Amino acid sequence: MLEIDKVSIIYDSSQLFANLSLTIKHHEIVALTGPSGSGKTTLLRCIAGLESISTGSIHLNGHDITDQPAHLRNIGMVFQDNQLFPHLTVGQNVAYSLKIKRTPKKIADNKVREVLSLVGLNHLIDRTVTNLSGGEAKRVAVARALIAEPQVLLLDEPLTGLDIELHGRLLEDLGKLLRTRGTTVLHVTHDKAEASAIADRVLDLRQLIS
Amino acid sequence: MTTIYNRSQAIYWLAIAPIVAIVIFVIAPVFNIFVSSLQFESLNLLRTEAIRNVVWFTTWQSLVSTAFTLVIALPLAFVTANFKFKAQRLTTSLISLPFILPSIVVGVAFLQILPNNFHRTAFALILAHTYFNFGFTSRLITARWLQIHPHLDDAARTLGASPFKLFITLTMPLLSKAITNAALIVFTLCFTSYGVVRVLGGPSRSTLETEIYFRAMQLGDVSGAMLLSALQIVIIVSLFFVTTRASRNKFKQSTKPTISRQKSLQTRKQKVIAATIISIATLFAIVPVLAIAFKSINTNSRFTTTAWRTVFTSPEITQSITKTLIYAVIAMSLATLLGLLSACSVAYSNNNFHFISGLTTLPIVISAVSLGLGIIITFDTQPFDWRGAQFMLPLAHALVALPLAMRVILPVLQAIPDSLRQASSVLGASPRQTWLNIDFKIIRRAAISAAAISATVSIGEFGASSFLARRGAETLPIMISRLLSRPGDSLQSQAFALATLLAIFSLIVIFVIDSFANTKSARDSHA
Repeated sequence: MLEIDKVSIIYDSSQLFANLSLTIKHHEIVALTGPSGSGKTTLLRCIAGLESISTGSIHLNGHDITDQPAHLRNIGMVFQDNQLFPHLTVGQNVAYSLKIKRTPKKIADNKVREVLSLVGLNHLIDRTVTNLSGGEAKRVAVARALIAEPQVLLLDEPLTGLDIELHGRLLEDLGKLLRTRGTTVLHVTHDKAEASAIADRVLDLRQLIS
Repeated sequence: MTTIYNRSQAIYWLAIAPIVAIVIFVIAPVFNIFVSSLQFESLNLLRTEAIRNVVWFTTWQSLVSTAFTLVIALPLAFVTANFKFKAQRLTTSLISLPFILPSIVVGVAFLQILPNNFHRTAFALILAHTYFNFGFTSRLITARWLQIHPHLDDAARTLGASPFKLFITLTMPLLSKAITNAALIVFTLCFTSYGVVRVLGGPSRSTLETEIYFRAMQLGDVSGAMLLSALQIVIIVSLFFVTTRASRNKFKQSTKPTISRQKSLQTRKQKVIAATIISIATLFAIVPVLAIAFKSINTNSRFTTTAWRTVFTSPEITQSITKTLIYAVIAMSLATLLGLLSACSVAYSNNNFHFISGLTTLPIVISAVSLGLGIIITFDTQPFDWRGAQFMLPLAHALVALPLAMRVILPVLQAIPDSLRQASSVLGASPRQTWLNIDFKIIRRAAISAAAISATVSIGEFGASSFLARRGAETLPIMISRLLSRPGDSLQSQAFALATLLAIFSLIVIFVIDSFANTKSARDSHA
């Protein structure tokens, strides 16, 4: 369970929001909406440990992770612009977290194939990521985050910039995948239809501020 | 790159001047060196122990200097690429100063700050080469580091990478090409270093470059000098070939990210690390320059302005200053014009003239000393006996500066989106008007920077000048070398005063260039 308690964030010397509280239960998919510039992405970055909060606390499964560095939190994140590592192939990108954890190669290879087949990209395992289409790159980013088996997965507008047809197909696939794996998800989007389609609960950021 | 100028025949005319200049004054002399050195029965020279020692010393001191340079440049690049701090612009300019200093000034500075027992040692050469190259190397690596999107680091961190693992698995692979290229350039510059070795190494610490000069000008063994010159060219060209091939298949470099990775220093640890690295680098950059300035006003252990007064009253020295400035203006104009033409022909020709980029690299690969030697052995018979011609020295300076001038202008030209030119065209502008109102207005700052760099190269050029400068028309570096070779503390102080003058000029140039670059980036960030 992820508990965000009375969090305030100051960004570039101005307060983005104060006293924000949110709880996400195990296996729950929560979508967070709000206008551009309201601080959705910054909130995700704070939960991931990429930015610091000014006040309040963040607990994950009962442990206070407020001051824990990002690499120790086991919170995954899919970035709006994917941020695939350009020097690695599709397979190596997906295997990145396993390599960091020094997972034996054979086990890592099997896991990579398994996750890539879940997103339908097994045939691209040796492809360089700079040659992928927008949809393929998005699937690789999701696979790379899922293979680390994060306790919470943060999705930062993951379907922005895709054409309507691809957007609809990926939204359906992503929803199925996350439910099948029982991943706890906080999904940030400005698209209310997308939020309703994928989430158990849809919240507006402004309603969370007390 | 496809541009609206692709269809214009004028592109072919643009390329003619740089091609002709390089073919006549670089390729022909080098060809002559190879042909002549193969004709002579001097190949046995390469088997002598003395020459083998020179080759070995040149190689290992270049390798160690390159390694030392990277050891200092990498932490510095880490700070400048990742953090914002007070006086960053000033610090960056000061750290860049050594690279733009004339090599003879660097040699003179280390002669002054090192104890006598370190003169004529490999350590002195390595330290001076490290000093000369560390700021430039740091800037090259910083430029690439700034292109790595900060969210890539974030992605790695959310996947469990600690700062150390992030550096090893992400940052280093993404920087590897920039580091390899920087190392190759530094190695080449150390391998072909001349001014520093002439001043600090002396006869006992000879490199290939000084040995070429020594054989041609002091022993009269021109054939031996040409053979060594040919050997040096073969080594450097092979190195460029191998390194270029090795890094060819690297992944595509990403473009400049939309958000900066430079953050304010927040934690105490960050502040201490950054302050330490920046302080050491800045001190390393300015202490040698301050040392020569100090020595110029300190003769026979007392403070006096005699040396400075002599510099501005001695007819011999004032004539040298005048000649140097005249040559610099001619060389600057020529190098900037040729650099601009080369850059335009490469940028607009849709790869047809890409080879010009390689051609303009030749003066770096060949080295100034080999260029000077090649020119005096090639243009030595009527009607082309131009060895003593007034135009030869500024022309040689322009050719030495051309690779830098071209490389300052080309990236700016290539970064102009063709849509701007198309917009100008549909608004009724002819290609000429489009070039003047779009391309030229965007690249003019780069052209001014290229001119400033070319002037600095000319003013400090020592290698080719050693062969081409005639009595009564000596440039400042030659004058400094002559003053240093004469006994007497007052003459030495005059040499230090002239070296200080050159350093002040270099400092002005680096501030001009950096202020242009900063104005441009400020504009970019507001766009």
